[in-house]
Amino acid sequence: MSKQGEHKQEFNDRREKDLLRHILKTSLSYKLWVGFLILVILIGTYGYYRQLKYGLIVTAMRDYTSWGIYISNFVFFVAISLVGSLFSSILKLNKNEWSKPLTRISEIIAVSAIICAIVIIIVDMGRPDRFFYVIKYLRIQSPIIWDVIIISTYLVISLILLYTSLLPDVALCRDRLTAVPKWKKKLYRIMAINWHNDPKQVAMLQKVTKILAISVLPVAFAIHTVTSWLFATTWRPGWDSTNLGPYFVSGAFMAGAAAIIIAMYFIRKFINLNAYITESHFDKMGKLLVLLSLVYLYFNINEYLGPAFKMVGVEGEHITELFVGKYAPMYWFVQLGGLVLPIVLLLFKGMRRSLPISIISTFIILGAWFKRFLIVIPSLQHPYLPIQGVDESYLHYNPTWEEWTITLASFAWFLLIITVLIKLFPIIPIQKHEHVSKRHPILNFQK
Amino acid sequence: MKTTIINIIWILKISWSLLFIFFNFHMVLGQEDESMEDAKIALDFVADTDSKFIVATATNSNNEPIEDLELYFYVKRSFSNLPIGDIFNATDENGTVKIEFPNDLPGDSEGNVTILVKVIDSDLYNDLTIETIKKWGVPSLPPDQFQEKRSLWAAAANAPIPLILIISALIFSIWFIIFYIIYMFFKISKIEIINSKSY
Repeated sequence: MSKQGEHKQEFNDRREKDLLRHILKTSLSYKLWVGFLILVILIGTYGYYRQLKYGLIVTAMRDYTSWGIYISNFVFFVAISLVGSLFSSILKLNKNEWSKPLTRISEIIAVSAIICAIVIIIVDMGRPDRFFYVIKYLRIQSPIIWDVIIISTYLVISLILLYTSLLPDVALCRDRLTAVPKWKKKLYRIMAINWHNDPKQVAMLQKVTKILAISVLPVAFAIHTVTSWLFATTWRPGWDSTNLGPYFVSGAFMAGAAAIIIAMYFIRKFINLNAYITESHFDKMGKLLVLLSLVYLYFNINEYLGPAFKMVGVEGEHITELFVGKYAPMYWFVQLGGLVLPIVLLLFKGMRRSLPISIISTFIILGAWFKRFLIVIPSLQHPYLPIQGVDESYLHYNPTWEEWTITLASFAWFLLIITVLIKLFPIIPIQKHEHVSKRHPILNFQK
Repeated sequence: MKTTIINIIWILKISWSLLFIFFNFHMVLGQEDESMEDAKIALDFVADTDSKFIVATATNSNNEPIEDLELYFYVKRSFSNLPIGDIFNATDENGTVKIEFPNDLPGDSEGNVTILVKVIDSDLYNDLTIETIKKWGVPSLPPDQFQEKRSLWAAAANAPIPLILIISALIFSIWFIIFYIIYMFFKISKIEIINSKSY
């Protein structure tokens, strides 16, 4: 929409203007950003075209390392998607009002992450055309089937969760935004499903929100626990652990909270939402992040202390490889740079300001990604049966450029979905269909 | 003047060389095209009480036997072709080669197996594949689902009952909630504008 279009638009109050303005105005930096993401996706598409043409041989995955960075990336995206339930369920049920403006950001991130997780798992299949065989020849005994079921369920729940919170705002967009293209008007009209703030409608929506807040939590826990069972039910060192479910779930909440902080930083900066996403939000998110990181640290200690104390057989080899071997630099970067140091730094108030906390969160996200790499790959390289007489390439795993470009493209998809959703809808809830305290400074912001 | 003549000589030399290479290249290609011909393979299946044999006879376009032609015998399996016979199976002076077919190869439910005979990378004959279906395999009956014990490693139909019940209950309860919410949205959409609040 041109600047002229923006001038044609009239708003009722400042809150409406602040939160709807970005839908009308398309800046050059937005176009450049979208163009850059599309470029990364195109390069990844070429890598995927080569993978489809020549098969999985273009990747570095072989008989032992049969799950490479695709699966690490899949686990990472599933982890990030849990953040939707953190805000829409845990914080909401605990009646935290400060977190409400951040709910939609978290739901958008959750939807985007779960879509990318599904896409990346199909990319990992050598013959994606056979995906429906998974359904056709379904074996309920297989953890992979449990994962397929729970991921599709969580995708639907995440979409409903986002839609539920969006509905009154979409209706507002339908009624207020006159200076938008026809297709957008049509989109808002269809999505608003005859919403007109009728008290009956509001009551029903509140009921839906409550049901969702309660039901999303077990599904969210299940999605990452089942993902951890894909590993825990496979007999390999490092995975043969009863700790894996809570270890994955706690790691997911930490990574998700860090992702929200980074998103908050950029959204605040580029959509000028300083009055809505305040330093106080960053401070509170910082405290929450410390809590989540401490829980994750606890499970990390549990995960490594037992095997490292006993150092039995292949399990011991695996631990040696991580602590002092080939993967030691990555392992210590993840544990210290991505977990211990952020906890220590975030204890200081100054570090919980927007810029430092965003940098710390970036390290947490990097650590979280490499942590999934460390969970998947070194374990696969240490099977319980001895490796004998195999090709040299089977013993190492160095991802090929096709794998990297496809992985980077999945990140670009993730960011593109978020960017487009932010551009289409108000990112901070404008309408207050839920009960909100009159004292609340953010949600009741008026001119 | 002298330089010009030398230059012309060089140009002629290079042109001649290029022409020579080009001409020879075509000669070689032409030779290959003309000299390669199609072989004909006739298969005969001989079975006695104990063993089964495949007898392949190779002839050229004039129906003369081809001697010393390398033939490759395979049986089609799920993921790739299983080689049978010796490592090298070359035809004799009558153009025939005889290989033994293993007695214990599983076939489909009726015992059918697909036998492939191939000519690969021959100097004189084009590549060729002959595919024949023969009832020489051991019939593979589908696992008896009524005999198999219910377990985690059993066929899909024999999953443990508690597992089926737990998973079905979980799926049913969560999807019931999802459909209920969708129904609620449907009801929301049907509420007409009466007493609506202004924004």
